[in-house]
Amino acid sequence: MENNEFSAYIYNVKQAVKLQASAKKNSLELVSTDCCVCCSDDANVVGIGEDFEYRTSNDVFAAMQCKTCGLVYLNPRPSIAEFERIYPPTYHAFDFSEEEFGFVHKVRSRLEANRLLVLCKKLGDDAKILDVGCGDGFHLRLLRDFGNKNWTLEGLDASEKAVEAANKSGIKVHLGTAENNDLPENTYDLAFLIQTIEHIEKPNEVLPAICRVLKPNGKLVIVTDNTDSLDFKLFKNGYWGGYHFPRHWNLFNRNALTTLAEKSGFKIEKIETVVSPVNWVYSIHNALVDTNAPQFLINQFTLKSTISLGIFTVLDIILQKLGRGALLRATLKKA
Amino acid sequence: MEQKPIAIIGAGIAGLTAANYLHQKNVPFVLYEAGKKIAGLASSFKDDEGFSYDFGAHFVTNRLAAMLGVSGDCKPVKHYSETVLLGGKTYAYPFGLMKIPRMTLSGIKSRLSGNGEEKTAQNWFRSRYGKALADEVALPLIEAWSGAKAENLSSSVGESLPGSIAKTIYLKLASKVLKRAVCIGYSRELPESPNVWHVYPNEGVHTLCDKLAENIKDKIKLNSPIEEILVENDKVVAVRSKGVTQAVSAVISTAPAPILAKITKGTNKLEKIKQFKYRPMTFVNMRFEGRGLLPDVVLWLPEGKFPFFRLTEATLSMPWLAPEGKTMITVDIGCEKEDEIWTMDNEKLGEFCLEHLAKIIPNAKEKYLGCHTLRTPISYPVFLKEYESERLEFEKGTGIENLLSVGRNGEFAHIFMEDVYWRTLQKTRELVKLLS
Repeated sequence: MENNEFSAYIYNVKQAVKLQASAKKNSLELVSTDCCVCCSDDANVVGIGEDFEYRTSNDVFAAMQCKTCGLVYLNPRPSIAEFERIYPPTYHAFDFSEEEFGFVHKVRSRLEANRLLVLCKKLGDDAKILDVGCGDGFHLRLLRDFGNKNWTLEGLDASEKAVEAANKSGIKVHLGTAENNDLPENTYDLAFLIQTIEHIEKPNEVLPAICRVLKPNGKLVIVTDNTDSLDFKLFKNGYWGGYHFPRHWNLFNRNALTTLAEKSGFKIEKIETVVSPVNWVYSIHNALVDTNAPQFLINQFTLKSTISLGIFTVLDIILQKLGRGALLRATLKKA
Repeated sequence: MEQKPIAIIGAGIAGLTAANYLHQKNVPFVLYEAGKKIAGLASSFKDDEGFSYDFGAHFVTNRLAAMLGVSGDCKPVKHYSETVLLGGKTYAYPFGLMKIPRMTLSGIKSRLSGNGEEKTAQNWFRSRYGKALADEVALPLIEAWSGAKAENLSSSVGESLPGSIAKTIYLKLASKVLKRAVCIGYSRELPESPNVWHVYPNEGVHTLCDKLAENIKDKIKLNSPIEEILVENDKVVAVRSKGVTQAVSAVISTAPAPILAKITKGTNKLEKIKQFKYRPMTFVNMRFEGRGLLPDVVLWLPEGKFPFFRLTEATLSMPWLAPEGKTMITVDIGCEKEDEIWTMDNEKLGEFCLEHLAKIIPNAKEKYLGCHTLRTPISYPVFLKEYESERLEFEKGTGIENLLSVGRNGEFAHIFMEDVYWRTLQKTRELVKLLS
C-alpha cells in the first residue's frame, strides 16, 4: 500500500461530503458496473468478503472476474457519495511516515528507490518524469535524493492537501487528475502509476490521458496487485489482501493489463512481477479477523509486523523468480 | 423507429432481476405482474404478535445479498442443520445416519459395486447411498415430497443434492469454526465456499425484490395478468393483457412452465410442456410457547407414520422470526388439489397436525397458540420419468428464440434463489445480445 494512492480521490471525497445524505443506512450506497477493459458484464463472482481492515461498513462485497479478459473488479461498488465512509481518517495511506512505521519505512524506502532507479536507467540528463497520483511525493523524493540531479521531477494529484505538502518539501506537484489537468501534451519521458490503478474508477480513461502527455516513445510504468499470483489463488474466495474491500476496484492479471494498455495507445515493452509481502500478510490478517482469532495474533500480520513481512518477502522472492510475484509491473511505450 | 419493449411476466426475484438488468442496459421493457404487489415466491410478512411468515425462501446467501447491494442490512444466520427421525431416535443428517451399521455397510457396498443403470430416482439413490439409506430415508422422503413413486421419477431428482462427501464435511467444519451457516447444497451456478453463508434481510426476504424494483417502479404494471403471448413464424410478436395487445421484441416469462404453454398462441412448440406437473403443498405454520421443541432446525420424517414429512423450527436458525420465548414450527404436507388436506379449514388443520405433533413434542397441546396455513398448487416440480426427455429438451430453452422461461417455476427446476438470479441474468444477457 502506498501513501499516494488515496490522494487522487480527495477531490471525490469532497464531493462526497456534499452529496452524503443525512440519513444513515447500514448498507453502503452501491452502484453496479461492467468490466472496464472489455465493457462486458459477463463475469463470475470469484470472491466474497468484507472490509476486514477498517470495518467501515458491514456490507459484504463481491469480486467479479470478467470471463473475457480476466479482470477482477468490485461489483457492485460504493458510489462516489460513500468515499468519506470507505476511506476513514485512520486509513494508513494517510500516514506512512518514518515516525509511525520506523524500520519498515527505512527498508521500504531503500528498496523502492532502487526499483525506481532501475526503471530510469536509460533516461538522459534532460529527462522529465511525472508521477500520477503522487500523493505527498514519496516516490518523487526518492528520485530526487537518489537519482540524477538534472532530471525534472513532477507530480500530479487531485488532493490540495497532498499538493501543498509535496510542494512544501520542494517537489513540484500539479493539481488535477489524469483526465482533467493543464499539463501540456507530448511532454514527459517517463510516467509512473504506482499502486494507484486498482483504486481508479475508470482506468480505461486514465491510461489514454497519460498517453497524451507522454513524448513520442515516452514510457509509463504501472505497478499493481497481481491476480496471476499464488496468494490470489490461495485466498481468492474472500480473504485475499489485494481485494482491500471495498477500495480496490480493478485488479489485473497480465492479460487484462496488456489488453487495456493496447486499447489505450501503448505498446507493451515488458510485463514482469515484483516482490511484495503485503498481500500475503493481509490475506492472513483477514482470515484471522474473520475467524475471531485473538488480537495479539492478528497484530502479527499488519504493515508494522517486521517478522511476517520478512518471512513473506523471502517466500515472494522465490515466487517472483518463477514469474509469480505478488505485484505486477508493466512498462508501456507510447505507440 | 422506436424499439419495441421486452415484456416480462411476473415481478418475483426472476422477473425483477431481468427487469433490473434491462434497465441498466437501457433496453425498453414492461413488467406485467398479475398480483397486486411484487415479490412472488420471495414475499414475506409479519403479524401483529411478531411472527414472520416467509412464503418461499427462508434465507438467502450473502453472495446474492452482496450482488443486490443489501448485504449491510442483513443478519447472518448462525446455525443451520437437519435431523432425521428413525425408530424413535433422531440422527443428524447426513453423517449422523452413519451410526446405524446397516446404513454404513450398505453405503460402502454400493460404492464398491459401482453404479448400475440409473434411469430412475430409485436406482440413483440406491447406487449412491446404498439400499438401506435409500429405502429407509431418501426414497420415502422423495415420494412424500413429490407425490409419486420413486420408480416413476427420473434420476435427475438426485442430481439436485449437494456434491461430494469431502466437500460437505469441509463446509460443515467451516460452519462450526466460523459460527455461521455456511451454504451447503444451495448453489449450483457458483462454487460453494466458507465465505458464502446464509443471511436473512432485516426486513424480510422481500427486501431483495424491493431493492431490484427501486429504480423501475414506473415500468411495473400490477394487477396485469398476461392473457396471451402471440407467436408468428416461431417468433413472439405481441402479448395481450387486459384485452390490450402490445407489440413486443421478446418475452421473459416467469410463469409456471405449463401455464406459459397454455397462454402461448400460434405455435405448437410448447405443447409437450403442458403435461409437466407440480406438487401441491400445504404449509401449516404452527405457533407455540417456548423454543427448541424440535431437536434441530429441520426434522425429516421418512417412516410414513405421519401425514407430514418435514417439520421446520426456523427460529432455531433465525431467532428473530418469532417473539421471544415463542416459536413457530412449519409442517409440510404434500397433497393433491381438492383433497381432504387441501380443503380443510385453518383451525381444523391446526388441530389435525397437533394430534400428530403431540407424538413427537411433549406437551405440544398445552403450548399450542394457533396456526396460519399457506397453500400452493405449484410448490415443487415433479420430475416424472414419463416426460423426462421433454423436460431435458425444455432445459435447453422454449424452442422459440425470443421467448425465455426463467425462475423457479418458469424453468420447472428445483433451484434456489441465488441460482435463479444467476441463471436469469445469464439468459437475459444472451437475449439482449440476440436482439441487438
